Amino acid sequence: MARVRLLERDDAPLAARYLYRDDGSASPLTRSLVNAPDVLETFMPFLAQVYAASSIDLATKELVIVRVSQLNACRYCLAAHRPVALDAGVPPSHVAAVCDEAPLAELPERERTLIEWVDHYVLDPASIDDDLVARVLDHVRDDQLIELALVAGVTQLLNHYCTAFAIPAPRP
Amino acid sequence: MTAIGLETALEEGRCGERLWLYATYHCNLACIYCLTESHPGIANRRALPRERLVSLAAEARELGFGSLGVTGGETFMLPDMAETLTELGSILPTVALTNATLFTDRLLARLEALAGLDVALQVSLDSPDPMRNDTLRGPENFAKVAEAIPALVERGIKVRIATTVDDQDEDELQRLCELHRSWGISDDDHIVRGIVRRGRAALEGMGVVPGPTDILPELTITADGAFLHPFAPTVRNGVTDVDLLVSRQVAPLAVAVRRFLGIVADQPVGTDAAATFT
Repeated sequence: MARVRLLERDDAPLAARYLYRDDGSASPLTRSLVNAPDVLETFMPFLAQVYAASSIDLATKELVIVRVSQLNACRYCLAAHRPVALDAGVPPSHVAAVCDEAPLAELPERERTLIEWVDHYVLDPASIDDDLVARVLDHVRDDQLIELALVAGVTQLLNHYCTAFAIPAPRP
Repeated sequence: MTAIGLETALEEGRCGERLWLYATYHCNLACIYCLTESHPGIANRRALPRERLVSLAAEARELGFGSLGVTGGETFMLPDMAETLTELGSILPTVALTNATLFTDRLLARLEALAGLDVALQVSLDSPDPMRNDTLRGPENFAKVAEAIPALVERGIKVRIATTVDDQDEDELQRLCELHRSWGISDDDHIVRGIVRRGRAALEGMGVVPGPTDILPELTITADGAFLHPFAPTVRNGVTDVDLLVSRQVAPLAVAVRRFLGIVADQPVGTDAAATFT
């Protein structure tokens, strides 16, 4: 059971009701966040921009999101983003690899290098060295790496949030 | 979200000019229709410190609010409320809601400073019949109110009467009017309002559910945040309703005002709910 209230649309603050779908539904994560509507004024547009396709394709972003969620053992985010990753075109074998259900070594070099960087970024950012950065930059530009760092960072934030508040995983 | 200024919102009748301050949720009574489940043993009193009340009032004046309302809970459960009202009344015209059951001679003496200020005490009284009034508001409520009001009037303190209507009939209300007139309180200073079906009243199945435009928006500050009107920050089963929450941040007040104006700008202008519910 969630450790914060999950608000139905009619119980949610007026200024946050736009976050609900036309049928009144919203994800459990959204239904919890609306308890603190002030920060959502900027957080939700920020989240939408960071997670949206940009100069980086959606599949790459989703691969990073799923990997970070796996490292943080976030049941909510894994349940929410595994299907999204597949919809975004991430091959099932890649999803399985970043979820530790298959060897990471089976990933193509680009994805393998990105995930190596993500693992360091989440678990021990001080261990990232120039060599690793140089190898990642063989596959993405520096601005794209910055953006992926934001994707990983905001995912980490949400992983901690969902786990700490026991947000129930969304239904498939 | 549409952006308008407070002056425009006031001109268009989108909101009231009063800023409401929930001084505390603590109360010495436990009225059956209470919006906030206030009672003597409440665990979370959600009091606003005096310094916060005064700073909010000063900022409200700067922002263009025309008056203050202080409510609760019972405002005089805060030991320094008399002095707080003196400060607030020197900033803006103020009305403070009270059940008038805590007015000892000592407190009445401290309240005398209000006589020279634009401060009114709005006392709740629901029936001219002691037993009937006390059924709604608690034992000995009528006797204490009937003793306190003449004492306040005698000291030159402005008093208003607020009656919350449940099933009182015309005759009962008429006798109540005769009573407040006998205390020197005019009909203009008698407010009759319905029970709003929120808070404990909702759990008891009492009152009416207000429509979206039935209650005039009046920014209301509590320890839990800023709300759309004074009937908004209700409590059910110990949990504050947030459906009419405007902003968690209340200081600086300008932040809450900006969010409040964003909401009222997008709402249809009401008929005249104030007459019914305030």
